[in-house]
Amino acid sequence: MEHTEDRKNKKTSVISRFLSFFQKIGNKILKFFINLYKSIINGFKKFFARFMDGSIGTKLSHLIMGAGNFYHKQFIKGFIYLALQFGFFFLMITSPTVNNTPIGFKSLGNLITLGTEEGGIIFNPDFTFEIIPTDNSMLMLLFGVIVIGIIAVYIIAHNSSIKSSYKADLDKRHNKKPTSFKQDIKSLLDERFHVALLTPALIGILVFTILPTIFMILIAFTNSDKEHVAGQQLIDWVGFLNFSNIFSGTGEISRRFLPVLSWTLIWAFFATFTNYIGGILLALLINKKEVKFKKLWRTIFVITIALPQFVTLLAMRSLLMNQGPVHQMLINIGILAEGSTFEILQFASNPWTTRIAVILINVWIGVPYTMLMTSGILMNVPSELYEAAQIDGATKRQAFFNITIPYIVFVTTPYLITSFIGNITSFNVIFLLTGGLPRAGGGAIAGQTDLLVTWLYKLTIEQNDYNLGSVIAILTFIITASATLISYRRSKSFKEEDAFQ
Amino acid sequence: MKKLLLLLTLVVSVFAFVGCNKQTTEDITTANGTNAPTTTVEAGTIKVWVGAESQAFYTQKLEDYKTYYQEQNGVAFPHNFLVEAVDTGSAAGIFLNDTEQGADIFTAAHDNLGRLIAGSSAVMPVLTPALQAQIQNDNPEMFQNVIKGSLSGQEFTFAVPYVAQSLVLYYNKAYINETQVQTWEGILEAATTAGKKALALSGTDGFNNSFILLAREDGTKETSLRLYEDGVLENTFGTGDDTIAKLKWGQDFFTHPNGVVSSSSTAWEVQLQTESTIAFIGGAWHFDSAQDSLGNNLGIAVLPKFTITESQAYGDVEAGTVFQSGSFYDTKAFFMKKGSAYQEYLEDILLYLTSKEVQEESFEAANNLPTYKNALTEFEAFEEDTIEIQLAKMQLEMAEFSIPQPFGASSKFNTYYYQKGAPDLILEILENNGGNYSTFAEILQQMQYVETIWKTGVNEKP
Amino acid sequence: MIKKEKKFRSVKASKLSSTIFSYITLGILSIIWLYPILWIILSAFRVEYRDGNLITTVVGNYFPKGIGFENFKLLFENPTGNNPFIRWFTNTLIVSVFTFILSTLFTLSVAYVMSKLRFPMRKKFLGIAIILGLFPGFMSMIAIYYILKAISLTGTLYALILVYSAGAGLGFYVAKGFFDIIPNSLMESARLDGATNSQIFTKIVLPLSKPIIIYTALLAFIGPWMDFIFAKVILGTNRQMYTVAVGLYEMMYGEQVSSSQFTVFAAGSVVVAIPIVTLFLSMQKYYVEGVTAGAVKG
Repeated sequence: MEHTEDRKNKKTSVISRFLSFFQKIGNKILKFFINLYKSIINGFKKFFARFMDGSIGTKLSHLIMGAGNFYHKQFIKGFIYLALQFGFFFLMITSPTVNNTPIGFKSLGNLITLGTEEGGIIFNPDFTFEIIPTDNSMLMLLFGVIVIGIIAVYIIAHNSSIKSSYKADLDKRHNKKPTSFKQDIKSLLDERFHVALLTPALIGILVFTILPTIFMILIAFTNSDKEHVAGQQLIDWVGFLNFSNIFSGTGEISRRFLPVLSWTLIWAFFATFTNYIGGILLALLINKKEVKFKKLWRTIFVITIALPQFVTLLAMRSLLMNQGPVHQMLINIGILAEGSTFEILQFASNPWTTRIAVILINVWIGVPYTMLMTSGILMNVPSELYEAAQIDGATKRQAFFNITIPYIVFVTTPYLITSFIGNITSFNVIFLLTGGLPRAGGGAIAGQTDLLVTWLYKLTIEQNDYNLGSVIAILTFIITASATLISYRRSKSFKEEDAFQ
Repeated sequence: MKKLLLLLTLVVSVFAFVGCNKQTTEDITTANGTNAPTTTVEAGTIKVWVGAESQAFYTQKLEDYKTYYQEQNGVAFPHNFLVEAVDTGSAAGIFLNDTEQGADIFTAAHDNLGRLIAGSSAVMPVLTPALQAQIQNDNPEMFQNVIKGSLSGQEFTFAVPYVAQSLVLYYNKAYINETQVQTWEGILEAATTAGKKALALSGTDGFNNSFILLAREDGTKETSLRLYEDGVLENTFGTGDDTIAKLKWGQDFFTHPNGVVSSSSTAWEVQLQTESTIAFIGGAWHFDSAQDSLGNNLGIAVLPKFTITESQAYGDVEAGTVFQSGSFYDTKAFFMKKGSAYQEYLEDILLYLTSKEVQEESFEAANNLPTYKNALTEFEAFEEDTIEIQLAKMQLEMAEFSIPQPFGASSKFNTYYYQKGAPDLILEILENNGGNYSTFAEILQQMQYVETIWKTGVNEKP
Repeated sequence: MIKKEKKFRSVKASKLSSTIFSYITLGILSIIWLYPILWIILSAFRVEYRDGNLITTVVGNYFPKGIGFENFKLLFENPTGNNPFIRWFTNTLIVSVFTFILSTLFTLSVAYVMSKLRFPMRKKFLGIAIILGLFPGFMSMIAIYYILKAISLTGTLYALILVYSAGAGLGFYVAKGFFDIIPNSLMESARLDGATNSQIFTKIVLPLSKPIIIYTALLAFIGPWMDFIFAKVILGTNRQMYTVAVGLYEMMYGEQVSSSQFTVFAAGSVVVAIPIVTLFLSMQKYYVEGVTAGAVKG
């Protein structure tokens, strides 16, 4: 039962934990930089030692990629490296333009200025005109980041060419033949199999996850919003202005950030717990000995998960509309007066009506998941525990409360934590059910049921205020990252307790 | 298991091969697409965006244009058209997101002008004298200013109007007769007799309170209210005597037990249907729902008049002054993409599409209210007497008492007017919860806050 | 003696009442859970007219006043030309098949490496993967759109496949949990027999991993049928290229058309639901194993 206590304590001591947590973060950051400095110094030392120790081929490799490989008669390898170097410098120097924006060394300069040509149209009296294109600041930002990435990849490749030449040096010294190309390929399937498996996935992640994320983080430091459309106007760096506007300023972010944040946390808390407890209860109910057709009951609830959420949620929304059957049924029963304009979802006069409705509907969506998982766990409870209890003379009831429940709680607590964090960023339910409405008044974009992520969506996709959207995204990330870190430390200490025995 | 996978992959690869070989953009050429040998020009595709309700009509019209072009010039029109249905409310935003993929010609409401020409402009101005002349001659005076903007120091026309829209009164004929529908007092009387609510609105924003704010004196057709007149931010005035008196009247109307019911964009239909409310202010886009709700009882009228009573008289405005409810009268217009590869053809296409002949056909086929200023007298379709024609006529009649949304000169105006809290402040006056706005002084104070928001976007109310 | 009988009977009685209670509760819960789903099905088959026109909006009566296939006809015939449902269905099928192949490859590769192979920077990669997963997904939508634009892929299905699969390597967590359970002794004995790492992976581990392969593939396959955000941003205004999710979503939310196409939407949902639900139910066993594995390993 320590777990229930822990859960209660979690709420109150969160504040003190938060503070000490930030202290520890500060220490960690300091340590990080010291270690970084040390490793840089070490790196240089090693680099220099390698240079001195290497053969002339290796020394040449520092200038011309592949020179060392040619020296060791690894022709194919050398050629590949050389081609890479050639390609890199060709790209960087000639700077081809994509969508009117250069990608090459020029991109580095553009990254700092984010464009200088304002563009326009020059009209000649004879009805001809000349269009001067405006520098596309967003593309310049993107290409700047890409070029930095390409330079980083090049440095790694160049270093790897030196490394391979040096390795061949060492092989020669130990009277081994330097590896041939065929041998290298074979090793990819054995000792270096991890490289073969990871590389394609890594490339995908780099280009489609890491690169966009860095790009969007950078946007938070610009003034890219609906008044500064890329291709029409120039966008500039504004530093931390958007962040400071959260605390001062009268804009959207400052007015709505705290209300949206508090609702997000409330939502995450209730959504997680209602689903958790509901799912466990339901699983236990189905799992009872007396209940037959267990699979049938489970399947009924699983069908809700199988259907796409935009179908089920839109169905819910239309059910609860004023034209819909639930409203009609309430009138028929007499709870609502005929012609009542009582709205449950988007246009409710009281936001809490909508908020409670949303949490309840989320129960409908989420309980089957938890139920499935708990059912799976229930089937895997180690029978030794029950046997031991039986030997000790425990009744079925005692076994249930002292073995089954704690076991389930113990096993699913990590899930509880990840589910809480996941609910902070749960998008579909709120977006499809209410669209964030009812309105918050004062012309705010964020409505009364908007979570941080739905607000982000509105700012980015509907309002085209990309910088504000990025700021919200970064703040959301900080919150979820903190929560994850806190939970990790707790669960580590958790696992060390043998709370189960 | 593996065999199943293999089979599945094979089947889908066939699909993929077929599917991806089909053109990703469908050609909407008729079977008679002329293939006259044009040596120099390679056939491209001109992309056109119109609302879904007009898509079929304009697809056909652009085909007719090709024939017209051939007759005019003796050679076949060298390119094809692709007409996509894009909601006119969001077309400007979609266009600005990616102007390269954007249409060469697209439709947007005129108040998008500001953000379309901001900076170095995403749209092309009208340069040919022929099109400029047609725009000037055919369209009513009220539109001439809102379609222009300045670029490179010169003023140009950017928007080519072709559809007009206004708010009208939808009402339940079973409860309101023809005399009553002319004044709000009459409608209120009808509501009180029947024990119903007089009016539903589709929202509480700045668009829906316009019937009070934009009301004009019946005889002189004047009002002191100014909103960004001539595209100038400072020409905004909202604290005139008549504005205060109108708002006092509005307050009495809203707080009357049978007056205005608080509503939403989905609830008004239910209210009309269940006959708990007997009238509704809406636009042409509400017509289908209104017809569904009221069936044969649907009546359409110009927005009614109202009279200032003793208790509502204020300043220069005496008791007995009659006001005519106002509205925003908007135009949907064609815009041309800047840097379109087909620029040389676009203006002639627009000349054709917005000519009064095509506007008339568009009205008959797709119910698009024409902007042609003499449509009421010259178009034959107006001689019929269907409910759709009634809708069109009432909108045209509203033109006299309306102004086009004056927010096109800068994208800031739209934001300041709608999105900085001003409509909520006005609603507070009208609903007068807690009696905080019962005196004229309080209403005046509130309107001063509103005016500040209109001019600066900052809400100074504590 | 009598006491014992009484006790016996009351125990039996309480057992009976608890059984009844369980069934009633389950029954009520089932009705609540199935209520909206039944609503969709009923709406899909609903045929009601007002003044000669088919009503396609939401109405107040739960049970339809008339039944027919009209909505399905509207769905497949596509009278306005703007909702080519069959084309959408094929698009989504193509995307989901290629996505599931690529995604599964990526996810399983990374999961196996993280679980079984030792290499420098392994722990760092684990940490980075978790951190990256915390960024809200569509924060990167605009950036991805620009990237796709630079390589001229916007508006195509290839782009969708790329976007859905490329980041799949980050979702290795559950699969890793599964691989962790496979005993290392198995692999070591194989190595003693002279197998290379790649042979161990393909010939020994994979055949044992049917449940997790199916679980990963299932989730990857279903993804494109459900996503309406990314697909909409990438595909733009070209309705022929839409997936089923975007198309149906646009039907309900898209235009300022005053009467929404709710019943047609319901019909489309039913058509989409049939293959997905069948797939899901037939793989339910693997899905449960997958979810449990992830939760247990935590």
